[in-house]
Amino acid sequence: MPPGSPRILPHGVPPAPQRGPLPPAAPAPTGVPGPSPVPLGGRAEQAFDPPSGMAWARVSPRLTWHRRIAVLLWALPLTVIGAFVLARTIGLLGGLIWLAVIVVGCAMGWIVAELVYRSWGFAERADDLLVTHGFFVKHLVVVPYGRMQYVDVTAGLLEQWLGVATVRLHTAAAATDARIPGLPARDAAVLRDRLAQKGEARSIGL
Amino acid sequence: MSMGPPYGPPPGYGSGHGPTPAPPYGPPYGGPPHGPPYGPPPKPPVHFSVGVHRLHVSTVVITALSIMVIVFILGGDSPVVKVDANGIALVLTPKALAQCLLIMLPVGAAAMIVGFWIWWSVKFHISGDDLVVETGILQRRNRRIPLSRIQAVDVVRPLVSRIFGLAEVRVELAGGDQAETKFRYLGRSMGEQLRAELLARAAGLPGHTPEAPERPYWRVGFGSLLGSQLLKLPVIGGLALFVALLAFGVVYTEPGVLAAALPVLLGLVRGVMAPLLMHTNFKAALSPDGLRLRYGLIETRMQTVPPGRVQAVRVVEPLLWRGYGWARLDVTVAGYVGERQVLSSVLLPVAPRHIALQLVGLVFPGTNAEAVRLLPAPRSWLRAPFGKSAAGTDDALFVTQRGRVCRRLDVITHARAQSVRLTAGPLQRLLRLGTVHVDAPPGPVQVAADNRELGEARAIVESAAGRAHRARAADQRTDRWAT
Repeated sequence: MPPGSPRILPHGVPPAPQRGPLPPAAPAPTGVPGPSPVPLGGRAEQAFDPPSGMAWARVSPRLTWHRRIAVLLWALPLTVIGAFVLARTIGLLGGLIWLAVIVVGCAMGWIVAELVYRSWGFAERADDLLVTHGFFVKHLVVVPYGRMQYVDVTAGLLEQWLGVATVRLHTAAAATDARIPGLPARDAAVLRDRLAQKGEARSIGL
Repeated sequence: MSMGPPYGPPPGYGSGHGPTPAPPYGPPYGGPPHGPPYGPPPKPPVHFSVGVHRLHVSTVVITALSIMVIVFILGGDSPVVKVDANGIALVLTPKALAQCLLIMLPVGAAAMIVGFWIWWSVKFHISGDDLVVETGILQRRNRRIPLSRIQAVDVVRPLVSRIFGLAEVRVELAGGDQAETKFRYLGRSMGEQLRAELLARAAGLPGHTPEAPERPYWRVGFGSLLGSQLLKLPVIGGLALFVALLAFGVVYTEPGVLAAALPVLLGLVRGVMAPLLMHTNFKAALSPDGLRLRYGLIETRMQTVPPGRVQAVRVVEPLLWRGYGWARLDVTVAGYVGERQVLSSVLLPVAPRHIALQLVGLVFPGTNAEAVRLLPAPRSWLRAPFGKSAAGTDDALFVTQRGRVCRRLDVITHARAQSVRLTAGPLQRLLRLGTVHVDAPPGPVQVAADNRELGEARAIVESAAGRAHRARAADQRTDRWAT
């Protein structure tokens, strides 16, 4: 297995025990309806951690390169057109400032690409799939296998060239948006088949 | 709410939805106790499983007429209409009329042929567990609809079809705009029989089962509907603006202001009249094959939402309604998307709050939304500057409340949750807050617990996921609700 391939977890990983402070029976401890049953600063840092006893399966680091190349592909025409226009209207200084802006933007994109790649992770529990991502806005999605309408694998031109693909889960809710980009193409197909199989086994309609 | 139905499976055919709602709240219902309140004299029933059926023959005429109207409008130079510098004038001389007739006759004949072609090309019947619809003559299309997948059946009667005594039947399936099947138009009694047979078969009963009896639940009087439409902040604001503009125009004798007042008036008429006309005569009734809604003044609708097809509901209380204790009840049904979502997602346009909440208990049997304890999110102004929000959950429901001006209570059952999400934007993370979403299919209801402590938010996510799993395991009966 090349370094960076997702460590796709085997079947039948035992479900993580409920680690929340909320008891399963009622969310509210009887008493004054206080601001929150959870003490301030309790587990805020762990809010996007993997379920206990599991680790996030990571995606391929080629995702970073996918994003960096995409940034460069965007930057190239912008640089040429912008520099040309500004050099004609403002002068050489304008063109140079534009170049500097582009370079700073690319550098930021370069760094953010790495951070975004690191933020992706997923975990297959017994009954649901967890996906986390996001650097600026953090997301954590829990999708029960039984709710999957279908799973598909897509790969754009750049993704194909890098040998990665995106697995996307569709539920009846448009807001679900559970996708896992940057999986090596073979792993993506394997994951899709396994998710589809689990979905089939637990399907319950709407 | 002390009369909430007990836990357990919904009662079967004939026994209705749980106990009768407590003594008559609100205005009495003026219909017969059983059977459809309006209906034709009994005719021999149509069996849709026997033979092949077509739309009503009058469809030919309606199609032809609409084609002719379009031709008349697009046709331009008509001999009876004279357009000159003085404006438009009708020329009703015998010669012009004869000329007009000469043009319209072939158009009419062609339109009749097209209408007949369309009518001839649509055939449908019920075969086993499927509704089969065949369209097209040259290019045949055959659509099989599994009855167990029907989300809702609506009988819509626009003005034109009411003149002809016809009705349009719409069969809603989950899965986008293309998933709706329309029968345009059927005879009125045939439409209602089709509706009854589809629902009976979808429930797993024999097709010749008589239409399920229904029990009136609530009727919205015209007065309260009008009042509720006027008592809205945008409407009152628009009215104030209109009066101010008018006063300004009169005092300063500035007629130009009236030009600005006119669009305001039109907007007001549209904002108040459209919902008013649409929901006039609103009646909600309970029956074993679902919740039946009848409403409309110009276009009447009869909507049936089978049990278990409601994905999520929302109780909306605008600021000015709260003094009267009024609320509106909106619903997400998987079949309604796009325009139909806007038109058909109201379960109660206006009703006392406890009636709305009681109906929530009836569409989600065995639950009590009012008993769910709502925990407010952290209240400091820095953390929640946009008004209070609260969330709560029990074993069956996930309930969130949002909004200070227009208060909304969003309710979803764990068994219907599609996915659970936790999101935290940069500012929220700085304040150690996160938002928990419990996703429903597209619709008016969005269940989201805003601005919870991050640690608590993750705990809510885990507990909601666990409860959803247990609820789904217990509730495997979404397809056949009567078996």
